[in-house]
Amino acid sequence: MSTFIKDYIERETINRRNFLLATAAGMGAMAVPFAFGGGAARAAINDPAIAWSYRDRASAYWNSIVSGGEAFVESLGKPKESLVSLINEGSSEKSLADIKAFLAKTNGKCAIACDANDSPNARPVVEAVRDAGAYISTIWNKTDDLHPWDIGDNYVSHMTWSDEKPAEQTARILFEAMGGKGGVVHLGGIAANNPAIERLNGLKNALKDFPNIELLDAQPADWDTTKGTELMASFLTRFGDKIKGVHCANDNIAYGVIEALRAEGIEDMPIVAYDGNPEAVKLVMDGKLLATVFTNPHWGGGITAALAYYAATGAFKPSEEPKEHREFYGPTVLVTNKDAADFKAKYLDSVPAYNWKDFWGPSNGQIKYK
Amino acid sequence: MPRILTRENAIRWAPFLVLLALIVLFTALNPSFLSQRNFARIAIAAAPALMVAVGVTFIIVMGSIDLSMEGVVSLTAVLFCFLMLALGGTLASGGWIAIPVILTVGAAIGLVNGLIHVKLKIPSFMASLALGFVGTGAAILLTGGDIVKFNDPTFRALLTWRIFGFPLMVYVAGLCLVLAWFIQAHTRLGRYFYAVGGGEDLAHASGVQVQRVRMAGFALAGLFYAIAAILQVAKLGQAESVTGSNFMFMSITSVVVGGVALWGGIGGVWNTLVGVLIVAVINNGMVVIGLPDFLQAAVLGLLVIIAVILSTDRRSVAFVK
Repeated sequence: MSTFIKDYIERETINRRNFLLATAAGMGAMAVPFAFGGGAARAAINDPAIAWSYRDRASAYWNSIVSGGEAFVESLGKPKESLVSLINEGSSEKSLADIKAFLAKTNGKCAIACDANDSPNARPVVEAVRDAGAYISTIWNKTDDLHPWDIGDNYVSHMTWSDEKPAEQTARILFEAMGGKGGVVHLGGIAANNPAIERLNGLKNALKDFPNIELLDAQPADWDTTKGTELMASFLTRFGDKIKGVHCANDNIAYGVIEALRAEGIEDMPIVAYDGNPEAVKLVMDGKLLATVFTNPHWGGGITAALAYYAATGAFKPSEEPKEHREFYGPTVLVTNKDAADFKAKYLDSVPAYNWKDFWGPSNGQIKYK
Repeated sequence: MPRILTRENAIRWAPFLVLLALIVLFTALNPSFLSQRNFARIAIAAAPALMVAVGVTFIIVMGSIDLSMEGVVSLTAVLFCFLMLALGGTLASGGWIAIPVILTVGAAIGLVNGLIHVKLKIPSFMASLALGFVGTGAAILLTGGDIVKFNDPTFRALLTWRIFGFPLMVYVAGLCLVLAWFIQAHTRLGRYFYAVGGGEDLAHASGVQVQRVRMAGFALAGLFYAIAAILQVAKLGQAESVTGSNFMFMSITSVVVGGVALWGGIGGVWNTLVGVLIVAVINNGMVVIGLPDFLQAAVLGLLVIIAVILSTDRRSVAFVK
């Protein structure tokens, strides 16, 4: 069935809901201006189409983002298929082209959640959305000079995660497990990636308080398990017994490090990781990993879509929100052996039901630029 | 007595000499490079890559190219883990059946690749690249993007059980290499690969069923990709939709660096072994001597170019495309 016909039938069948939502949105729009002593008219879109634009489906992280987006659209009483996936496959050109196509298809009556793939791409994306009169919330990638409040209400919000502090915490846990002395190696993400830089900086911050710990070397393992094993094996040749602990930029690399050590019969090396993937949490429970950090992609995926959607419906007006509601850090949860079982029960075994109208509850303060 | 220092001999042994030179260089910069432990580490890194490279060697000798390895390795690795888990999760409890099944699946994918290439007359690079994407896509679909862990200690003995300091998987790879050499040197199919690669029209005129040889070549390559997938699972204890990534560059670079000509008919699995070792030694050595990471990609590229210059007989090449 062509998407046109499908869309048409869908439109006809959900007219009743549209009517109710429109009424609700309209009433909200009527009420709010009075609260602020009157003002600009609301640009409410009735039942905007919702899309998530992201890299790929080949990782647990992005799957979790999408699951959050789906949970959000289901909270609106829509089937989860009504969340449109715009998969850019790591191409900024495709990211922008897909978003423009979606804007054209919906005639600007849409709300978009988006990771722009790389920082420079965020500006053309949000400008295209603004010009079409649609609404967008972004995560991770944007340049430091681009702010939602400079673009206007159509650029609802930006969320990113500050990895420096949590990576510093994992480093401290690692150093304490090493007894405060010895050599440590860092296996990083793709060298130019922001989170990779921040996670290494976190390690370096912690090093200042541990004078007897030596950072032997830090090299990129490209977020990749295979690269992680091979890099770790080479580190073992270069430093041998001097390595007393391993700081990994993500869980995938840690899986590789554990295997490289297993091949050598080393079972008790202190290792810390990042991302809080289910396998890593299990390794923390088994004592193979000391710690990992969870950034709650499910909530991030849902709330980003929710912000764009409710701004589009006129449920809130972005420019009336404080700056810390336009640019903010996402939540981070440190997972250690002590709390891994509780964490698993709370976040992994069953997905918590979030209130998608509590936009900023779990967030972590306004983004700070250096 | 035949002269040893002929031009042909120099070119034949050039890749091996490059390998020796690299070992000497890295040892001079950090003596711990030249240790049995480190050679075992290089061997572990090289074993799955060697199987992929051996598979594609047959194709390149035929004068075709196969770019499906990443998708095939990912898909067979994921299927292997699923099947093992479904069969009880251990080798002992009947899980061993997964091994022949996955080898067959690999060969079947290769055969489909060959059929698309030969019957639909699509250039091999296009047919195989497309099929590789299908493989990756199927792996994503099966896993939903998640990691499939498979940690049966008996199976993982491929990595953890050492004989003379080298893990079992290195010997398995060695055996498969000998098998590949046997196919190349002592079977009719092996000789036909060279005949087709050396001059397809001539081979056809001499009664070689070129189409069948091509299909058999792709099936054989698929079989070796499946072996690589099993070794990769043994090495990492997991499979996911990106398990096969990087194998395309790694394997084709290795084959060419080892002195197998991309235009077909020249070289063989021993060249490939040397080529894989050169790339693995460079990757390991750069970290061991402490080369800054931002230089590593550039140095790898330069060394590959130098190795190819030294190991190809460019005088015998009429044109390069």
